[in-house]
Amino acid sequence: MHRLKLFHRVILRPLLAEPSRGLLTLVAVSLGVAVVIAIDLAGFAAAGSFRSSMESLAGKAVFEITASSGIPEETLGRLATLPLPLRFEPRIEEYVTDEASGVTTSLIGIDLVAHAQRNVVVGEQTGLEILDNPRAAWVGAGLGKRPGEDLRITIQDRSEVLQVAGVFTEQDDGAQTGPNRVMVVDFPVAQALTGRAGLVDRIEVGIPEGLDEAETRAAIEAVLPPGVELRPFGTRTDANRRMLGAFRWNLRILSGIALVVGAFLIYNTISVSVVRRRGEIGVLRALGVTRGGAQLLFLAEAAAFGAAGGLAGAGLGTLMAQGAVGMLAATVNALYVTSTPGTVALTGWHLMASLLLGMGVSLVAAFAPAREAGSIAPVEAMARGRREYDVRVHAGRNALWAALLLAMGAAFCGLPPVDGRPLFGYLATLLLILGTAMLLPLLIVLLNRLTQRRVHSLLGVEALLASRSLAGSLRRSAVLVGALSTAVAMMVSVGLMVGSFRETVLVWMDNQIQADIYLRAAAPSSPDNYPPIDTAVGDAIAALPEVHAVDRFRAVSLMVNNRPATLGFADSQMMRTLGRTSFLPGQDREAILRKLPVGPYVIVSEPFSQKHDARPGDTLRLPLPDGPFDVTVLGVFNDYSSERGTVFGDARVFGPHFPREEVTSLSVYLKAGVPLEAGRAAVEQSTANRRVLLFTNRSLREEAIRIFDQTFAITWALEAVAVFVAVMGMAGALVALVIDRRGELSLLRFLGASKGQIRGLIYFEAGLLGLISNTVGLALGFALALILIYVINRQSFGWTFQFHWPGMLLLGALSLIYAATLASAWFPARVATRLNPIEVIHEE
Amino acid sequence: MSSMAILRMDRVSKHYRSNGVDVPALRHFSRDFEPGEFVALVGRSGCGKTTLLNLAGAMDFPSSGEVWIGDQMTSALDDAGLTRLRRTRIGFIFQFFQLLPTLSVAENVELPLLLAGAGDARTKALDRLEWVEMADFAHRMPHQLSGGQMQRVAIARALVHSPRLLLADEPIGNLDTTTGNLVLNLLRRAASERGATVLMATHSPESTSIVDTVIRLRDGVVEEVNHPACTV
Repeated sequence: MHRLKLFHRVILRPLLAEPSRGLLTLVAVSLGVAVVIAIDLAGFAAAGSFRSSMESLAGKAVFEITASSGIPEETLGRLATLPLPLRFEPRIEEYVTDEASGVTTSLIGIDLVAHAQRNVVVGEQTGLEILDNPRAAWVGAGLGKRPGEDLRITIQDRSEVLQVAGVFTEQDDGAQTGPNRVMVVDFPVAQALTGRAGLVDRIEVGIPEGLDEAETRAAIEAVLPPGVELRPFGTRTDANRRMLGAFRWNLRILSGIALVVGAFLIYNTISVSVVRRRGEIGVLRALGVTRGGAQLLFLAEAAAFGAAGGLAGAGLGTLMAQGAVGMLAATVNALYVTSTPGTVALTGWHLMASLLLGMGVSLVAAFAPAREAGSIAPVEAMARGRREYDVRVHAGRNALWAALLLAMGAAFCGLPPVDGRPLFGYLATLLLILGTAMLLPLLIVLLNRLTQRRVHSLLGVEALLASRSLAGSLRRSAVLVGALSTAVAMMVSVGLMVGSFRETVLVWMDNQIQADIYLRAAAPSSPDNYPPIDTAVGDAIAALPEVHAVDRFRAVSLMVNNRPATLGFADSQMMRTLGRTSFLPGQDREAILRKLPVGPYVIVSEPFSQKHDARPGDTLRLPLPDGPFDVTVLGVFNDYSSERGTVFGDARVFGPHFPREEVTSLSVYLKAGVPLEAGRAAVEQSTANRRVLLFTNRSLREEAIRIFDQTFAITWALEAVAVFVAVMGMAGALVALVIDRRGELSLLRFLGASKGQIRGLIYFEAGLLGLISNTVGLALGFALALILIYVINRQSFGWTFQFHWPGMLLLGALSLIYAATLASAWFPARVATRLNPIEVIHEE
Repeated sequence: MSSMAILRMDRVSKHYRSNGVDVPALRHFSRDFEPGEFVALVGRSGCGKTTLLNLAGAMDFPSSGEVWIGDQMTSALDDAGLTRLRRTRIGFIFQFFQLLPTLSVAENVELPLLLAGAGDARTKALDRLEWVEMADFAHRMPHQLSGGQMQRVAIARALVHSPRLLLADEPIGNLDTTTGNLVLNLLRRAASERGATVLMATHSPESTSIVDTVIRLRDGVVEEVNHPACTV
């Protein structure tokens, strides 16, 4: 109890007396926590949503039967003959768009007769006569439809109208799947709508309790045709989750930056608190408070900041997650797998995590200053006239530690990923940040020495006082510079990485996008889902007088080595003669593409090569519809369209392995001299009765770069928050600095300083801190960018890109940060000029 | 008013508000201070010594009455005017020296000149350091000096812009007797040799023997004015 009283009197009361200082630190911590929580909540909602309501419809299944391009329907007949009490749920699955709302959702075909008999489908109209209606669909309540309403959807390259027969009233687990928007149709209706007559996409297998799973598995596998495989239920979902792991990990790490910046500021706040209460600590120690007791007081202060910031961060994080989930889902869709955003829900776990995160970071950050509070000797602390705190910063010793940390960081860059995650890369960045932070005191001392003779003559007395003040309060200055320069460095490094990536993608697109017009089905597509276009469309376009050639490309989603990948095939000779696909250095493009159609050969994308460790000459086993197919890798091509990884082969080699001829995109080359608009008009006319998306060469590039920018929008948002936290912290620290140095500032007024000069002094301090932070941040950011590009990115995603300086972008961002730093001095300067020198000097 | 007065205080009163109550700190104080005059203000804590120094130093305005520094009435000046006055005519010395710990001795001394934008600051600073016999310490930092040395530097700083009025608030309150005497001698010399009017608030009875005039204050009112016969 007495400790609580002490905490209230020594810590809480002074804090409440200066609310602006405490509030700014609180905001910094809560923002740091909020960003981490927001990214986790939003990432979960965006990534979790692809589990979708598909899996909740059929009840619990143990196995699933799949094939890369559909399971022959007669397989069901064979399975039915097994002398086992198994439940088989055949399904057709397709992503469609509800044209009224624009919402992407799943259309699922199930055996409604069997379901109706088992009362699985719950709707307002459950009579079997509804099955006579070939347009009948049951929809989730999330779509907001009423029974009897028309439901117009885009499916593949067509528009179709269904009729709402019933609305699902059962609720999914909202946290995982979001509102239920699924559409269910009878199995034959789905086959007709998707053009998969005689095929089933997936068969879920339910096993009653007591049946041996291994024996059952063997029995099922014995009747499966080649190319059809049995695997544990949820394998695809789990694989997708694993694939998204790197993406979510990188976001988590980025989101942690704001928290690291917040930790710097907690350190600063508690340091200032210790410095300012030095006299009081001395008195308390003289009155019998132990070292540990004094230490505990300041740790409790940090914990209070952490707890309050953590709780506020949980609420703020939930709000931020609502905004971020759409951006993340768009990225997941563009780069990985079809996903519809789920619902953001703050759970008890997240609340606890926020609290622990806030308190944990605060306590770690406060440990050193709290320990120092414990080591204060009573006599020394109480001695008047020696209020100036002698900060024992061992700049030289710190520099040695810094060298060690930097060397370790450099060594970590050479280590391989752990379980597909660039853990050593992350560690290297952390060591680099810490090493630089430890170098800062030495840097500030050296800078002060270098400029001390010139600073007054060049910039005036305010600059002289400001630079001396920074060097004089080394630890505080170093912490502030550490916080801001970390935020700046992360922004610079991400800017360099994204800028380099963008430039590389632009160059790649120049090579890759050679055709004049591109077409794909209007239905939702993503790297795991390629809606087909009717083959007649390609034939009709090829027959147009304006058209020179049509490249028919087919993409299929499959699993290679238990990882999702894409198999694509087309006329490789058209790629050779008309395209400009580039290969990794040292690989002969012409020879590779000439050889591709003559045997079981493939080329693989760089991300695929990286993830599967597939090099030229290696053999891959691909699960094709008619069974496993061994192919030899001829080369590795540059590809930035998907992180899943692509295997590409010639249509003449792969086409015969698929039951139906299908294309998923068309590249149209116009004849020389045909104006683009004329060619486009002709193609549009020939596809007028189809729901296809048509892109010109230019619009496809624009679309690709739009998706690219959208993908990294969340990254920029995270950086902006980190910088905002740092600038907020700077404002808070400057206020603390003014309060702490009010005696000095008041003395200056006695010595003839005008209010303008006092204001100028504070602005100069902010300006100097900003300048040093920006300079250090730029250098650190460059080093971090090298790690991001050549270690973390390569180990996470498998892409290589050329280093590029986005000069104007960085200049603009740094200028903005500098201006924000200066602006952050406005309030502290106001506080400084409003000090009453007489009162302050009297108190001193 | 004497035409030569450096500082003239005419029926000056100062009240402070404390918890809604008017607390008088100085009442109806009137006096002209002449060039070269060394005046000690004595009395118990709270008697009005520091208030008087602050009013004389253009750091505060009287509640009533007038404070003239040379030909300028402080109440008629805005903040910029008061700042100009302090830069040109007033020097301050404090009990706890108040040297800036991040500046060297020479830089501390030249600071008033730098703040005023005056030229040749370093030469003048070294000259004043010479005068207080601290020139050899010009490049040291304040924490490398003893208390007496710090106060001598503070005196050099207070004199660097050749002020006509030197205000010292308990300048020897934090020093031992020998060092305190050294400092008092310097203040005496500032008055005698440089013609500065020195107003010194002090608790020390010994220090009154060196001054020209002793003004004893009690509860904001002049209780007694003495002119010690001898000077050191």
